Amino acid sequence: MTDTHVLGTAQRLGSRALSWLHAAHRDGLGRIPDNTLIDFADADNAYKPLGEVALAASLVLRDGVSGPADTRTARELLDGCWAQLREGDLLYERQLHHFTMTDPLETYGHFARAGYRHPRLEELLDSLARLRAAHAEEIRPNRRLGVANARRVVGLDHRPDWEALALGTWLGARPEPWAVNWMTGYDITHTVFHLTDWGARPDGLPEPMRDYVRDWLPVWLDVWAEVGQWDLVAELLVVDACCGEPTTGRQGWDALAAVQHEDGLLPRDSDPVDGDRERVFLDHQHTAVVAVVAGDVTLARALRATAAG
Amino acid sequence: MPFAETPLRDEYAAAVEHLARRTLDALHDDAAPPPEAPGADRPLLAAARVLGPDLFAPRLLAGAGPDGPTAALLAEARRTLPPPAAPSAGAALVIAWQDWAAGRLLARTPYGDGAPMPPAPPAPGESGWQTWSVRMSQLSGLALPGLDGPVHDSARTHALSLARGTVRALLRRDQTTAARLARWLAWTDAEGLAPRLEVAPVLDRIRLAGDGSARTALGLAIAHRLLAAPGGGRPAP
Repeated sequence: MTDTHVLGTAQRLGSRALSWLHAAHRDGLGRIPDNTLIDFADADNAYKPLGEVALAASLVLRDGVSGPADTRTARELLDGCWAQLREGDLLYERQLHHFTMTDPLETYGHFARAGYRHPRLEELLDSLARLRAAHAEEIRPNRRLGVANARRVVGLDHRPDWEALALGTWLGARPEPWAVNWMTGYDITHTVFHLTDWGARPDGLPEPMRDYVRDWLPVWLDVWAEVGQWDLVAELLVVDACCGEPTTGRQGWDALAAVQHEDGLLPRDSDPVDGDRERVFLDHQHTAVVAVVAGDVTLARALRATAAG
Repeated sequence: MPFAETPLRDEYAAAVEHLARRTLDALHDDAAPPPEAPGADRPLLAAARVLGPDLFAPRLLAGAGPDGPTAALLAEARRTLPPPAAPSAGAALVIAWQDWAAGRLLARTPYGDGAPMPPAPPAPGESGWQTWSVRMSQLSGLALPGLDGPVHDSARTHALSLARGTVRALLRRDQTTAARLARWLAWTDAEGLAPRLEVAPVLDRIRLAGDGSARTALGLAIAHRLLAAPGGGRPAP
């Protein structure tokens, strides 16, 4: 059973990160500029962060383990992000014109999970899935899993070979655990996120991969906590909760709680947090998203285990 | 030996390298290290104290017992040089176990002095696998055929913590700790217990990325020999 100290820390950390995101969005940070054209070249700078906020908020609503205030906050964040995407029209236009791109689908999945729907986009996605081109795009194997999971969440007709997709990833190869680096660390976390649909399907992670993760996760957490890579530490804590009974104990949670600011900001790494408020928001918003997800999936897993026990 | 006119610490380090190299050569030849000239000087005696049980590795790995000349050198080192000062209780325990191991092997020769068995080191559950594995790395000199006790039981019982400690050391670029833990992994392999981490790639990585010292090379060579002889870690019946 998960340590109640861990659960308390997870709840506080996630809740405070959610408040920090909400306050920033309320004050207009992270907005897509009104004059943005649909055809913007760099998705990362425009709506990818909106999709990530939607992911965290949609999981809070999906899992239902947060208090009423956090639930309301999550709903407000989703409403705000969906409005900025012009109720999905922006995703639709982008997908229509760049029909082999996967980010509109991946972003839409987070909204669809929380009940925000765009029928024309779904029709388009369904049509595109029948093109060989849609599956020919040369994307990273763990991203391919993200696309497959988004299709599953949206409910599009698809029958991917999950096992083959899983085996194509870094984690699927179960490499020497000391060969991992910062980049492949993120490859591992994302593979687990998508195969388990963010903890909802722990059995989606093939058993050999789960055993491998459980063997080495405490080591990876230890070394990245030592160098203050808080964003990756938080992702590894999400992984821990997606793979069954967590294996890493208090170490990561206590380290994150110790560096979280009073207002809920969680620094992405051990560098000084400086710059104006917008710069700080842009630098650390991803870590806030991960903190919300980590708190949510950890509590949800513990609750499921209690219910099952 | 040409150790004159170097600062004292360098002189001692050079002596350790010299003796480790001789032991390594002997290991490759399946022989005992050639005897040092009578009346060994202080750096050499200090080096013998540092290497301790490893001086006997060539003989033990060949299935033989400790040889007289090496035992005489180690006994002389223990007689003339006090154990190093321990900065902490954990360090004192490590020194006590190293002393015990040397004493156990010398007890099979005319130079036996029967060091008492120290208390068992704390288990990973008490100290955390990180601290436990670092301590085990400091005790890697005990990972030899012919030695057995609570430290060895701890290695047998906590295979995953040994493997995690090795991976942690490699990721922290601490090749020395990694090499010492990999030796324990090889020792458990020789005991017939499958290590939780593939050992050969680790040894190869350390060979290429390690400090290149004779002492590290000796530890790696011992690990290779343990790996090559499953069951060879147990004393001959």
